[in-house]
Amino acid sequence: MDRIKKDFSTLTLVMIPVAIAINIAVGQLIFTLKIPLYLDSIGTVLVGVLVGPWAGAVTGLLTNLIWGLTGLNVVSAAFWSVAAVIGVLAGLFSDAGWLRAWWKVILAGLITGLIAAILSAPISAYVFGGVTGAGTDVVVAIFRGMGLNVLPASFAQGVSSDPLDKATSFLVVWLIVQALPLRFIMRFPRAENVKPA
Amino acid sequence: MLYWLSAWVCGSGKTLNEIISLQQVTYTYPGTSTPAIKNISLAIPAGQFCAIVGGNGAGKSTLAYTIAGFVPHFYHGTLQGEVSVAGIKTSSTPIHDLVSLVGLVFQNPFNQISGTKFTVREEIAFGMENLGIPRDEMAARCEAMMALVDINELAERFPLGLSGGQMQRVVIASILAMQPQILVLDEPTSQLDPIGSREVLAAIRQLSSQHQMTVLIIEHKLEWLAAYADRIIALAEGTIIADGSPSDVLSDETVWERGVGLTRYTLAARQARAEGRWPAGLKLPVTLEEAIESFQAAR
Amino acid sequence: MSEALSLYVARPSRVHQLHPLTKLALAGFMLVGGLLLPGPWGLYIFWALVTLPLAFLGRILNQLVIATLRVAFPFALSVFLIQGFLWTGGTPLFRVGPLSLKQEGLAFAIASTGRILMVVSSFLWFALTTRPDQLMATLSQRGFPAGLSYMIVATLQIVPRFQARANAILDAQRSRGLETEGNLRRRLKALLPLVIPLVLSSLIDVEERALAIETRGFNRPGQKTNLIVIPEAPWEPAARIGILICAVLVVGLGLWLR
Repeated sequence: MDRIKKDFSTLTLVMIPVAIAINIAVGQLIFTLKIPLYLDSIGTVLVGVLVGPWAGAVTGLLTNLIWGLTGLNVVSAAFWSVAAVIGVLAGLFSDAGWLRAWWKVILAGLITGLIAAILSAPISAYVFGGVTGAGTDVVVAIFRGMGLNVLPASFAQGVSSDPLDKATSFLVVWLIVQALPLRFIMRFPRAENVKPA
Repeated sequence: MLYWLSAWVCGSGKTLNEIISLQQVTYTYPGTSTPAIKNISLAIPAGQFCAIVGGNGAGKSTLAYTIAGFVPHFYHGTLQGEVSVAGIKTSSTPIHDLVSLVGLVFQNPFNQISGTKFTVREEIAFGMENLGIPRDEMAARCEAMMALVDINELAERFPLGLSGGQMQRVVIASILAMQPQILVLDEPTSQLDPIGSREVLAAIRQLSSQHQMTVLIIEHKLEWLAAYADRIIALAEGTIIADGSPSDVLSDETVWERGVGLTRYTLAARQARAEGRWPAGLKLPVTLEEAIESFQAAR
Repeated sequence: MSEALSLYVARPSRVHQLHPLTKLALAGFMLVGGLLLPGPWGLYIFWALVTLPLAFLGRILNQLVIATLRVAFPFALSVFLIQGFLWTGGTPLFRVGPLSLKQEGLAFAIASTGRILMVVSSFLWFALTTRPDQLMATLSQRGFPAGLSYMIVATLQIVPRFQARANAILDAQRSRGLETEGNLRRRLKALLPLVIPLVLSSLIDVEERALAIETRGFNRPGQKTNLIVIPEAPWEPAARIGILICAVLVVGLGLWLR
């Protein structure tokens, strides 16, 4: 409990809105560039890595709620739990020291993406009829055509995009952390996790 | 209102001559080896309009944070020496008690808008809400502060939709609403356009001259400081290299060599001196009035 | 940038005058109904009987319907095409070439669309009629952590600025010759020079923002006061309990009907 309180210092409280704004701004930039990724969790992963799992969870959760509340992407609101888990995983991988080597970073992202796909599939299947309403539905169609049921098809679609998306996000966060001045990083609770070994 | 403001500034219980006192203060940021400020001893009387000048890395912001208590409470690191504000030691008082003594305004107005309120009036009340001030009192102070910095017509506007100069004045009003005894401003105009700068500097000047507020300002606009500041403290590499009236400090060449600039008037006089047209021993002017006098005397 | 990120539209309606918590209760009720009532037609009936009248009372019926349909349409299209035609097994209704529209798939698609309509409408109805800062203020007064409400409202205010900054960086990089069109590889290469400056410059601000919020006494322990009074009619607390009971009944109905 004390660790949680320490994690939520004023710096954290101020960092999270900035991280959420990064999630939203980058996500929209990706959309403008028509890159077939989401990259809407960079802020979440950054907070998870530097501050900790709880703060990462809050960042993810609030991002999706705000997407819903502001009408920017109402659909995302339903996936708040997935976003929260991504934040938690980022923090856990950070604590496990996986952010110190680039290949571990990518692996952490792949695992996170896989878990995200597992968690999103039921929500997608139940609330949204198993479709994404976007170009990625081609993938859903293919899997459905192969005879998979609604839930497995949703999962298959998730697996085809989430691991790559999260691996890229983790890598971008790793690059950002390398570029940040040490004096700045030292202010965060989990600075030790990302300092070069 | 003048009476009310003066009563607030002067009658807060402790009437001390020195409202800010630093004794042998040295501070090192965590993770660095050289102190940002070294052996600073300083006494500032209540009501003084004091400016801090210096080059980059001279320790000006660190000094400001130290007076406000953010060094050491926010930045941690090692602080030696004694810092007192209105008789209270900053190192042993938590930040939330110090904010009602020392108000701090920074460069970037956008970063200082709380982001929690949708109108300027509510924004000004934000600090008071945190202090638990009763509603009627808050409403009264909001009106008074808006009048003070001349933003009455902005009362219902969205704070982040204002111009830089307007936003910065909202920030100043918000800090003043908490009734600090000292106002510290760290380069409040450096991110503003000329009009915004003028608005903010005019508001600050009025605070000092008409309301006898103790003001400590870090600024580079030397002509303005020379005209209105009571005292200038020049820092270089973390120590005080000059401390006195603008006329003395800003005409001192050693100060210029250590990173502080010169006013246009001083530069003009130096040019005249280089061309051999300045009488030896005549002090270099720092303001327009001094320049007029000196150039006439030099003829 | 001169507006916060918010769907809220001010209207002189009875709904707008309701206390934020009452609106939250109503939105929650609609959400629960949308999630638990069985399709295919139960959801549409609920939408017509509850959501649309509430939107009408709030004088936002147009906005709500248009926004909901705009969000729901891509899903509806996909779900009809994919789940309708590619349903495994099931009874075909008519054929289109090698594919056939299955009855089960059609029923599933209708139900899914209804559910999406309900979920999206609940959110939008709430967002269109409630001022975010007032919502947060009431929650804070009832013990919601001040930090959490700060984070939500602050995000709403700074996101537009970030979007503007992102666009500015995009333009600046483009004018330096950054390729943002063309094949995928080129677009991916354009990614980092856009994202990294955005993130770095925003993180520099974080320290100053933290200092600034401290200077306003944000972390002072003790009770905070409020400048603005949020009106609440005397019957509203009782009404909220009534709504809660109705929600429980709907849950029961939904579970019973399955």
